[in-house]
Amino acid sequence: MKRRNRWMLLGLIPFAIMVFAFQVAPILSMVSSSVHDPKGAGFTFGHYDKIFQSAYYLKAIKNSLLISVFSSLIGIAAGLLCAYSITRFTPKIRDRLLMLSNMTSNFAGVPLAFAYIILLGNNGVFTLLFRQWGWDVFAGFDLYSWSGLVLVYVYFQVPLALLLLYPSFYGIRDQWREAASLLGAGRWQFWRTVGLPMLTPAIFGTLGILFANAMGAYATAYALVGGNYNLLAIRIGSLVAGDVVNQPELGSALAVLLALSTLLAVYLNHRMSKRSQRFTASYASVPARKRERIRLKSRGTRTAEEAGA
Amino acid sequence: MPYLELKGIRKTFGNAAVLNGVDLAIREGELVTLLGPSGCGKSTLLRVIAGLTDPDEGSVFLGDRNIVALPPRQREVGMVFQSYALFPNLTVGENVEYGLKMRGAGKEERRRRRDDLLALVDLEEKRDAYPQHLSGGQQQRVALARSLAVQPKVLLLDEPLSALDAKIRKNLRMQIRDIQKRIGMTTVFVTHDQEEALTVSDRICVMNGGSIVQEGSPEEIYAKPRTEFVARFMGSYNVLSRMEAARLFGDGIGTAESYALRPESAKLLPAGDADSGKGEKAGGRIVDARIEAVSVLGNVLRYSVSAAGVPLTIDRLNDGHPLREGTSGAVRLALDPSQLLQLEKEGA
Amino acid sequence: MTKPKAGWTHKTFMLLLMVYLLLPLAATFLYGFAKQWQTTVLPEGWTLEWVREMFRDARFLDALWTSLYLCAISVALSLAVMLPAVFVITVYLPKWETFMKGLVVLPYAVPGVVAAVGLIRAYSSGPLDLSGTAYLLIGAYFVVILPYMYQGIRNSLITVSAVELLNSAELLGASRSRAFLTVILPNIWPGVIISTLLSFSVLFGEFVLTNMLVGGHLQTIQVYLYRRVGESGHLASAIAITYFLFILLLSTALMKLGKKMNGVAGR
Repeated sequence: MKRRNRWMLLGLIPFAIMVFAFQVAPILSMVSSSVHDPKGAGFTFGHYDKIFQSAYYLKAIKNSLLISVFSSLIGIAAGLLCAYSITRFTPKIRDRLLMLSNMTSNFAGVPLAFAYIILLGNNGVFTLLFRQWGWDVFAGFDLYSWSGLVLVYVYFQVPLALLLLYPSFYGIRDQWREAASLLGAGRWQFWRTVGLPMLTPAIFGTLGILFANAMGAYATAYALVGGNYNLLAIRIGSLVAGDVVNQPELGSALAVLLALSTLLAVYLNHRMSKRSQRFTASYASVPARKRERIRLKSRGTRTAEEAGA
Repeated sequence: MPYLELKGIRKTFGNAAVLNGVDLAIREGELVTLLGPSGCGKSTLLRVIAGLTDPDEGSVFLGDRNIVALPPRQREVGMVFQSYALFPNLTVGENVEYGLKMRGAGKEERRRRRDDLLALVDLEEKRDAYPQHLSGGQQQRVALARSLAVQPKVLLLDEPLSALDAKIRKNLRMQIRDIQKRIGMTTVFVTHDQEEALTVSDRICVMNGGSIVQEGSPEEIYAKPRTEFVARFMGSYNVLSRMEAARLFGDGIGTAESYALRPESAKLLPAGDADSGKGEKAGGRIVDARIEAVSVLGNVLRYSVSAAGVPLTIDRLNDGHPLREGTSGAVRLALDPSQLLQLEKEGA
Repeated sequence: MTKPKAGWTHKTFMLLLMVYLLLPLAATFLYGFAKQWQTTVLPEGWTLEWVREMFRDARFLDALWTSLYLCAISVALSLAVMLPAVFVITVYLPKWETFMKGLVVLPYAVPGVVAAVGLIRAYSSGPLDLSGTAYLLIGAYFVVILPYMYQGIRNSLITVSAVELLNSAELLGASRSRAFLTVILPNIWPGVIISTLLSFSVLFGEFVLTNMLVGGHLQTIQVYLYRRVGESGHLASAIAITYFLFILLLSTALMKLGKKMNGVAGR
């Protein structure tokens, strides 16, 4: 790098300090705490052992996984349909709808939990309504249970899925639809053979983000069920900053496990977006062509073009 | 009976009239080119035939069926796009098979047709490759194969070569023309490149502002442009006003307002040529001229010449001895009045 | 097949989505103005007493003020640190881009709970005991909004072709820093404002870190809301609505600015 440019690195120093102090150091601290032996000076995997042998904590992990998986799947299905719909509108209307969707995501957390209590709690608007109408099928529904949590989680999963997925629909070129149509494909056939396969990387990538989002959700669950429902995120919270029990090492271990799941999910997202580029790094991308030509020329071979296309 | 006939096609986008009541009749096995500048409506007309755009008025007859109300799927029309539009998630072979698959053809038949067509476009070894790994010219050939696989009644080509390099373009357009002739496919070809149109077509329709302004064989269109627009569009025609034509050719040139003269139809004679009689034809005229500039276009030398105060472009085959600008003394221009074309007014 | 416009199916679908998204808001809104709403489908009466009580509650005003100043300080700090950093990386260190892309997914990869655990462990003892202090929270907030600020600033720089502007300025004789101040900064300002407002609203709604790190000592509006939910639902609704209206105002300002910026950049 040129010498003058070295001065520029000064601009990075405050940034580096902040990132190290408040992002890197805490993670290191957390990981080290998770293997720290509170009694001695050594390091131990005892905390992890404890977790994997405890039905209680395993249940917390299982609950979190289940709720995350289900809310993500529902979220992505709904999000996919909404994303498809939304691309049919003019950009103006589409942007308004997206704005609405993003705004409501600000409501997530405590206000959302409370709102759902109003709607579907024991004396909730819809609970009473359904009872009045004799819709007993919903009588067994408990907002404060697993299914209730999934329902509430879906509320903030759908807008996220929508936001992440709708740009991909613009990657499905009109001309593919037109070409397919001329070759005899109906709407659904096109989506099945060309459209959805093209979207698959984006779908899986978004699924990863949704999963991580749900695993890490805290405020909503906390406000809705507090300590009454066994969720990984809540368990961590109570172990580290709780009022009653304070077992920071155990909490750290659980946090490491949670982070592993979210990291894995995000990594999936990363791999998938690379895959997407395989499809969209398109033909007429001149730089790619030039690069290949230069590369081949330098090896003294004729490019495909020169060989007479 | 015409194989493909369009009658009275009208289309307006917003306030702009894109197609003004266009009529077009195409015989079976013919390659007709729609030629014109951007915005003349040629692509829209093509899309009307394909069913990708619905006209406001008019009918499209394929054989004796009016297909204007049918969706693209049911029209038995094939189309090749400027951007190839190959499906990136399918291999070359799968792309070619796509139409057959949609029609429910069996695996054997699909494979057979696929191999036939890949042989036709000379891409058999690329069968299992993905489109992104092919060059532009190769992708376009695959697109062609894909459209032909379902044996359409009409093939439409929407500026298929515009995205390609010059050299590839030349090769590929001859290949397309060969294939078209070999299988006798009725074809409509859209382009803005008049050289392309002249090389591949059986018939050319020059379009401007939503209408067909002249129709005819390539020779006719080139040698006998009817209007100033066509003359200017088809190459380096000299377009002269009445006054300019009179200065060069004298009176008796007819009553038109504008005239066209092909750049190769006048001969430059070096001044003081002893055999001045040689360049003179019966009825021809010789005028003094001055060479303002010379451009070497390869096998043609293009001279900017001023004769009788009229600027002209004169082309001459490159014999390796270009005349120099402002040659000592002037040069002389041998004009043949029979080569002066009268032009009609636009909209005639 | 002229580009298929939104038919009735799509319109209905979007309508359903809107209803679904707005329902909780509507419910909270009604609850905040309802006199009694325990056993009936619709409220039994309307009143403004909850709103009045809310404004009279000193703790509410306190929490509001706490939220405001904490978020403002965090955002300002972030701006001061991120602007030069993102500028340097985008313009001079493009190779680091891939690494920085990882930052964008940070909120998902390292969720609030996990960050809180790490922060508590790292700063709860010894010379670096920041536990329970606003400093720790501000540091945590910095990391929370890092991705938004990074993306916002970076996109602005790219939109205005910062590298080219910089090169032109340098060729005309400006020093690096002068070029930055006089040419780059004014042009990216609208985009920066947008990410600032976005970050502000994200922080305003932050709960987990706030509650776990400083919940006992400092109450932001979210923490306060949580406490009140248990005590009085009606009051909590009034608070939630106020909070939401505030964010709404912020978002509208964001949208307006967004439009203006697109006009300026002219793309």
